[in-house]
Amino acid sequence: MLRRFTFGQYKDRNSVIHSLDARIKMIYVIVFGILSFAIKSKSGILIFSLFVLSLIVLSKMSLSELIRNLMPFYFIFVFLLLMYILFSRNQLVLGVIYIWRFLMLIIISLLLTYTTTIQNLIVAIEKLSKPLKIFSIKPRNIAVMVSVAVRFVPVMFIRFDKTRESMLARLADLRKIKHIKLLVMVVLEKMFGSASNLSDALQSRLYNENLANKKILRFNKYDYLSIVFILILIVIIY
Amino acid sequence: MIQTKNLCFKYEDEFILKDVNVEIKEGSFTTIIGANGSGKTTLAKHFNALLTPTKGSVFVDAVDTKKDALNARSKVGFVFQNFEDQLVYSIVEEDVAFGLENLEIGINDINKIVDKTLTELRIDHLAKQNVNMLSLGQKQLVALAGVIAMKPKYIVFDEPTTNLDEKNKRNIMSIIKRLNKDGKITIILITNVLNDLKYADYVIVLKNSSVIFYGEKSKLSGRILKEAGLNA
Ligand SMILES: Nc1ncnc2c1ncn2[C@@H]1O[C@H](COP(=O)(O)OP(=O)(O)OP(=O)(O)O)[C@@H](O)[C@H]1O
Ligand SMILES: [Mg+2]
Repeated sequence: MLRRFTFGQYKDRNSVIHSLDARIKMIYVIVFGILSFAIKSKSGILIFSLFVLSLIVLSKMSLSELIRNLMPFYFIFVFLLLMYILFSRNQLVLGVIYIWRFLMLIIISLLLTYTTTIQNLIVAIEKLSKPLKIFSIKPRNIAVMVSVAVRFVPVMFIRFDKTRESMLARLADLRKIKHIKLLVMVVLEKMFGSASNLSDALQSRLYNENLANKKILRFNKYDYLSIVFILILIVIIY
Repeated sequence: MIQTKNLCFKYEDEFILKDVNVEIKEGSFTTIIGANGSGKTTLAKHFNALLTPTKGSVFVDAVDTKKDALNARSKVGFVFQNFEDQLVYSIVEEDVAFGLENLEIGINDINKIVDKTLTELRIDHLAKQNVNMLSLGQKQLVALAGVIAMKPKYIVFDEPTTNLDEKNKRNIMSIIKRLNKDGKITIILITNVLNDLKYADYVIVLKNSSVIFYGEKSKLSGRILKEAGLNA
């Protein structure tokens, strides 16, 4: 079951992209995200696609990993394509290009999570969202909340599957509203149980929301190099 | 020393612990044994102030847990029965670091301690793994690592070998024994398996919310274990 939810999982590889600063990677994702939709010319899109391809290679992501990660979006792509075929007369090429841009965007965000540990992502979010302090939001709380979510969402899917299977084994009929309700309730109850256990565990391990994250992010030579490189790329595309 | 004085506790109407008077001596290996639902976990949660008594009191190194929960919590580590739920971060080494971050240890030292702990438990090869992908035995070791790394004076292990195979069971038990003998950590082991009494210096037997035996293991008789509903 879990294998199906591999989207965005970090893999420890020794690559240039892995070694980049998490903050700069987050900013790049935003810049490239805008770029992937803002580029007008076909040659621009081609260059950009080649660039994304080289990023994939640089990050040492294997083809099978790439495919596995993109699988969840397969439906959306087919759906979008279908919409284009049905509703926009003779604009199929445009549709394909549009979907292509979308694909680039997904791959770029995928590369971020593939090459950055959650811990570092969280530090980056913390550092980049420092202005939030004005609203007295505690960065440590955000950090731990994000980690807990990342940790327990897959757990929820696994429990869902296990409960479903054990219900089916006792001849439940999951087309019946009653049984669907039961399934949801059981999973929710288990998740609440986990939440209460988790809260005990957090306290036992001395959780303190006022802590500042001591992890330091530092720019290395690749970070500076990447800035130069990307500026050149943008100039070429336009 | 951890000490309970006339400890009574109830969640709702019914008392889950009745008049418990026990001591956990420094450096000792104390085993709490009892049938399912006898109140073992509830008692242990009083040791690190996750619960505080409805009546009576609990002292950790002579400090009342009602007055100073943080004292109890920093001294008494807890490896939970449901260790699946005690892993906070998705990556093994990050989860082990969680408690150390809370102790405000510097990042370099954290890395050193994490490496050392993982190596000690022989799971250093799992450092970068996603917690969700681990086997039950591996998860349990990660949960142990997260607590051991914090170097508490006392550690509660709540049924640490349930659901594990023989090999993993032996491994976990030998780690716990080593922590006690070499690490000089006071161990509180919760179990319902008679075989786990092997390592105990002191035993607490619980039955229906009450302590029916407390003392040195040599004084424990088969009759008491039978009375507790544990087959001798
Ligand atoms: N959060 C809670 N709210 C209400 N009652 C509870 C709660 N937790 C435990 N109990 C009750 O307290 C009693 C003792 O539970 P406890 O978990 O301490 O037993 P245990 O000896 O650890 O059992 P086991 O061997 O099954 O883990 C049980 O009857 C249980 O139903
Ligand atoms: Mg219990």
